[in-house]
Amino acid sequence: MARETAAPEAEVYGAGSFYHLLRDDGVQLRVCSGTPCRLRGADALLAAARRSGLAAEPCSCLAACDTAPAVLVDRVVQQGIGTAEIEVAARAGELAAQPDREVLRGAIGPEDAPDDSLAIHLHREAEFDGAALQWAGGLGAPAVIDEIEASGLQGRGGAGFPAHVKWRAVREARSLPKYVVLNADEGEPGTFKDREILLRRPDRVLEGLAIAAQTVGAGEVHLYLRGEFETPRRILQEALARFAPVLPRDLVFSFHAGDGAYVCGEETALLESIEGKRGMPRIKPPFPVEHGLWGQPTLVHNVETIACVPEIVKRGGPWFRGLGRSEPGTKLYCISGEVHRPGTYELPLGTTLDELLLAAGGMEGELRAFSPGGASSGFLPASYRSVPLDFGSLAKVGSMLGSAGVIVLSRDADLREALLDQLRFFEEESCGQCAPCRIGTRYLHEAVVGAEAETGAGPRLSRAAEVAWEMNEGSICGLGAAASKPLTSALEHFPEIFAASPGHGGAEE
Amino acid sequence: MTGALRIDGQELPIEAGDTVLSVAARAGIEIPTLCHDPRLGAAGACRSCLVEVAGEPRLSAACTRKAQEGMVVDTQCERVERHRRNLLALYLADHPAARPLSGSSELFDMADRVGAPRDWGRLESRRDQRVDPNHYVHFDAERCILCARCVRYCDEVEAVNAIALAGRGPETTIATADQRSLLDTSCELCGGCIDTCPTGAMSEKVQLLRGAVEDARLEKVRTTCGYCGVGCQVDLNVDRRAGEGGRVVKVTSPEPGSTVNDGNLCVKGRFAYDFLDHEDRLTTPLVRDAGGVLREVSWDEALDRAAEGLLAVKRRHDAHALGFVSSSRCTMEENYLVQKLARAAFGTNNCHQCAAT
Ligand SMILES: Cc1cc2nc3c(=O)[nH]c(=O)nc-3n(C[C@H](O)[C@H](O)[C@H](O)COP(=O)(O)O)c2cc1C
Ligand code: SF4
Repeated sequence: MARETAAPEAEVYGAGSFYHLLRDDGVQLRVCSGTPCRLRGADALLAAARRSGLAAEPCSCLAACDTAPAVLVDRVVQQGIGTAEIEVAARAGELAAQPDREVLRGAIGPEDAPDDSLAIHLHREAEFDGAALQWAGGLGAPAVIDEIEASGLQGRGGAGFPAHVKWRAVREARSLPKYVVLNADEGEPGTFKDREILLRRPDRVLEGLAIAAQTVGAGEVHLYLRGEFETPRRILQEALARFAPVLPRDLVFSFHAGDGAYVCGEETALLESIEGKRGMPRIKPPFPVEHGLWGQPTLVHNVETIACVPEIVKRGGPWFRGLGRSEPGTKLYCISGEVHRPGTYELPLGTTLDELLLAAGGMEGELRAFSPGGASSGFLPASYRSVPLDFGSLAKVGSMLGSAGVIVLSRDADLREALLDQLRFFEEESCGQCAPCRIGTRYLHEAVVGAEAETGAGPRLSRAAEVAWEMNEGSICGLGAAASKPLTSALEHFPEIFAASPGHGGAEE
Repeated sequence: MTGALRIDGQELPIEAGDTVLSVAARAGIEIPTLCHDPRLGAAGACRSCLVEVAGEPRLSAACTRKAQEGMVVDTQCERVERHRRNLLALYLADHPAARPLSGSSELFDMADRVGAPRDWGRLESRRDQRVDPNHYVHFDAERCILCARCVRYCDEVEAVNAIALAGRGPETTIATADQRSLLDTSCELCGGCIDTCPTGAMSEKVQLLRGAVEDARLEKVRTTCGYCGVGCQVDLNVDRRAGEGGRVVKVTSPEPGSTVNDGNLCVKGRFAYDFLDHEDRLTTPLVRDAGGVLREVSWDEALDRAAEGLLAVKRRHDAHALGFVSSSRCTMEENYLVQKLARAAFGTNNCHQCAAT
């Protein structure tokens, strides 16, 4: 690679070693080590694979919590693989991704909603007539942005930032060229909604991107899909071929595959990754709208945000706003863990946990704790079940909606294990660039492990609050700022899980 | 850009290209830094220079933050000081407890200055140690805080790019391609990585092997490097208590920005000082006697002997049989004198300087 590109060897090695799918470690099989997958037998699967002589490793969430336990072979996420299948595959000496096991589609809902009640509508067939794109062309860019503003659309990637502000900033930026980037890195544990959109409504994604490009004046669209999304990528590319006749002929779509790094979902890390570098978040400001891909003004959006755009254009901003309850629009909620029908449900923004549980067939066992927005949102106790699941209400109770990856745990679940899963996740997925996050995540993880083993490291737990404060204040990006949430929320709401530790006395603020 | 901003209550003028850090530095307001080196682009990675900007929810890195008209910055509030204490406490929790034997101890000095707590315990180590047989540069991954000054120096100043950040998360480290020895990379062993490292993670192997002398005992003697005509300034670090009249135990470069070499040196200037005390070193002129045996003589006698020989060639074969080649270790003035010697004293234009081709 260094020879071909004339890039320095050390830099090529440094970039390669950042991404675990690029490491030359001979791993044949990766088993998700996220909580929903571990609740459904991921540990046994991993052990069976190793017993059978396969090179198997645990890995971070594969965005398939609804089909847990999820397994990765050749960058294709596989479902429904049990220990028996693993043993057969190992005996045959062959482990290739099996087409009939590809994670194609999970459970979705609601099933029979009228056309005008949902913004994305996973149940409907894809349409390739380009009607919204044409309509947007007729409206003109300023009017499209006004519609987006009227809709109240907030970024669905986690931060909930008002979309129109970014559109306007990129449109008004004077430097050329400009870019539109699709963030399909979906890595937040418990989140798999973007996968579902890509598989079922690639039309909405492509049309949304085309409208965005046309509106902000970008000639290139870059689509960054996590490396494990080989299947969604294939489907998106097929859709692009079908869509081509109605797309502007000079609009270029480029696909980029991630290589296994959660932090690349952070928008500036994603840009670095597209540029071929280590996926380390940039220091902000400047923000991507001003200094984005290759230093140019760039509009970065999550898959779901973009997929809302065509219907907003067609039906108008106020229509979208009216779909929501406490905040504008419908929202794709992912639910997994101990629930009957884990899946993706499009419901009004501000739906409560109980309503979501009902949509998903009900809880398995009695609710003890839930994470409303993936690992970054920490744990909330059952008593918070009627808080509206929206950006504002969850922020008020010290949590966050994030990517709306809801994980529910019953009284039977081992909450301490779930906590350790999340702490390990952040420790391993930290990009390692800044000390508060790189060292802080390790500190918190080791503090809990130490307390558990009662090795006398318990007193470290009493510093958790101070370390968490530092991670919040001192980190470069949102990963470090969120990474303490699992522990601080557990200390606040579930102090009993630390009862065995002698040193946690001063841990609660 | 012009205008003014306010730092700790002081109204300060902004000059073109200013960052909050550069404005503060001009005004004598000290903001602690670890990953900053004036020779390098700002990185914002070490987080020690975070300051509070009024109206912003997050602290901002003074080194990367552009100074803007009307900004109100606080570098001393309790929030900033708490951050500094905690940050340094975390660094120390991921670090050997003792100060480095050799190399910089900026990290420990800063921890003392900000009053970082020392009782946060010590984390398990998770970094690989690279084994590298080169004679000069030692890398101790345990002491590395990943400020990447060495990496950026190697790239931005030397354009050699022998090292890079590698791995991710807790395994992040400084590596060569495939973790090879520096000898098998583009590395020129200039030692700039050692010079810029704030923690002693990059240090001189020789120091570690011979037992480093603490800096406080060393006297710095400024001189001009004798290896080439560039004229880099070097500081000979002399241990007065060793040997007769002292011994040079290492060579360092003066502060960046203070001399012509801007803190940089090459492998010879920085590492090749062992000859000073070597037993084979010639310290007096030698001349062969009639029997062909080398004999110690005075400078006068030696120079007479050389002149005699050269004049004999001129007498026998004419001045054009002589040629004068001067060394690239000579300064410009010395080179001038060599050509003068050739042309005026011996009458030939046959003169050359080895760096001229
Ligand atoms: C650690 C981290 C991981 C993230 N991962 C994702 C992701 O996988 N997908 C995503 O769309 N946004 C992710 N984000 C949010 C993005 O930085 C960014 O806010 C988003 O892509 C903007 O698009 P939106 O306005 O449509 O939400 C992540 C942020 C952080 C801090
Ligand atoms: S907070 Fe963590 S992930 Fe973000 S830049 Fe710092 S080390 Fe990297």
